[in-house]
Amino acid sequence: MSAIFPLAFASEEVSLLTAVVLGILFGFTLERAGFGNARKLAGQFYLHDMTVFKVMFTAILVAMVGIYGFAAVGWLDLSLLWVNPTFLWSQLVGGFLLGVGFIVSGLCPGTAAVSAASGRLDALVAFAGIFLGTFLFAVTVDVFPWLERLYHAGSLGTSLLQDVFGIPAPLLAALVVLGAGAAFLGAEWVERRMAGKYAAVENAPTVRPRLKLAVPGALALLALGATFAPAPPRAQASPAFERIAAGDVARRIIAHEPGLLVLDVRPADAAAAPGLPGAQQAALDSSAVPLLSGLAAGQLVVVYDAAGKLPALPAGWPVQPRYAVLDGGIAAWRSEVLTPATPRDPSLAERQRVAEQNQVAAYFSGATVAAPAAAAPPPAAAGGGGAKKKKAGGC
Amino acid sequence: MKPRPYWNPYFAGVMLGLVLLATFLVAAQGLGASAFPKRLIALWAADVDPEWTAHNAALGSYVAGGAFPLRNWIFVEMIGVILGGFIGALSAGRFKVAVEKGPRISVRGRLLYALAGGTIMGFAAGLARGCTSGQALSGGATLATGSWLFMLMVFAGGYAVAWFVRRQWV
Repeated sequence: MSAIFPLAFASEEVSLLTAVVLGILFGFTLERAGFGNARKLAGQFYLHDMTVFKVMFTAILVAMVGIYGFAAVGWLDLSLLWVNPTFLWSQLVGGFLLGVGFIVSGLCPGTAAVSAASGRLDALVAFAGIFLGTFLFAVTVDVFPWLERLYHAGSLGTSLLQDVFGIPAPLLAALVVLGAGAAFLGAEWVERRMAGKYAAVENAPTVRPRLKLAVPGALALLALGATFAPAPPRAQASPAFERIAAGDVARRIIAHEPGLLVLDVRPADAAAAPGLPGAQQAALDSSAVPLLSGLAAGQLVVVYDAAGKLPALPAGWPVQPRYAVLDGGIAAWRSEVLTPATPRDPSLAERQRVAEQNQVAAYFSGATVAAPAAAAPPPAAAGGGGAKKKKAGGC
Repeated sequence: MKPRPYWNPYFAGVMLGLVLLATFLVAAQGLGASAFPKRLIALWAADVDPEWTAHNAALGSYVAGGAFPLRNWIFVEMIGVILGGFIGALSAGRFKVAVEKGPRISVRGRLLYALAGGTIMGFAAGLARGCTSGQALSGGATLATGSWLFMLMVFAGGYAVAWFVRRQWV
């Protein structure tokens, strides 16, 4: 199935241009919702102005129904979406603290930016505080081992609620919509009870009663419709792989970086052709788990295939190491590392670059010529000998 | 001039949801905010002590492989947010250099609360790997388990402390 979405852009510049446009729309919408006003945001926690809850949940419903609806009809490839990994304890504790900071400052990070852009000095000060707190966390997570343990505790990788509850995604979406609809009615009721208790925030909109039910009602219908749609493909256990350049891998191998693990995941017949020195053969499924268990958090695992087109992390792979796909696959390794460079211009810097790359190329062409010779006959005879696992040592 | 009224919250929610959905379709990820301070801190820290930054649990991934931390979708998106907020406030007649506070607190008191609350939030967004935008809103829409727990705890934390800081707001 080839889905239309998410869009793939030819250049990073175009992608970043969409970031500016969508960011402007995000900021504009937050401003119009009243989120540039700390008093209005704080009203959520004194129950007389539940705008935060209403806006946030309506937005989640719309996006959720859109994402799972588009996936159900095959327009969106769910496995390519970034899904926040679950770290139970850091999210529970961090969420609670963020709520405390929210009511103390009256703002959250995104709304603080909008409020500051609306000229509010308290938001500017809160934003300065956010920088301070960010720095504080980065320093203390290094100093206190218990904080770093908390940061990584309860890691479940990609965990989706429909898998936790064991029900189809559209059914869960429908339940979320219905639950939110009931919560909206509750919020309206609470607001009416609290009306007049505190001074109202200026420019509160007059809500037309009919609209209150229109949104959750329409979404409920959409979600119920989606329940009968074909089930969307299961989101693969992303986090998606990060990418690593061939030159970077080469430098790490030459430096004998401790703990570096290189996995060759090409099909067994293709893997008979020379690969990276020191690479271990593995398959993109649970059979590779024994190789990967016991790795430390953040330890680098470089994974490569023929062309560098790998999907998200396979199900069952432990999430604590850092996985990186060799950008461009073995093809890039050949062209960027094994091929001696030719200078593009006569500058000194360019000549230095060429000299460096040629040194690297010499290092690896020696290594890769030697390794297969010891492990397997030349490719022409490989058919008779069968595909041997190449475990060139040294690194 | 009287400022333009705020949008009906459900209408605003639909618009916000459409922006979020468009973001997922275009960028394969949701919206975010706290990566903005994180990446700026990473840039500065990498300048002061590259070795420490590369090995830091919170900042290391932003500078991995010699990456420039500001060349990032969320970072650029946040520049847009600041622009969009400014355009929104200006076009609604709501741009005003002022301090937003309840009637019973001094300006200095309010600013101290804002600084303290902001510091707590910066720490919390570091620990939780995101804030109300990146975790609750974006993770919530994908039905990520941890993001929903995060969101429930944000409300729990807010309600738990609201009574103690009520003088600031009501």
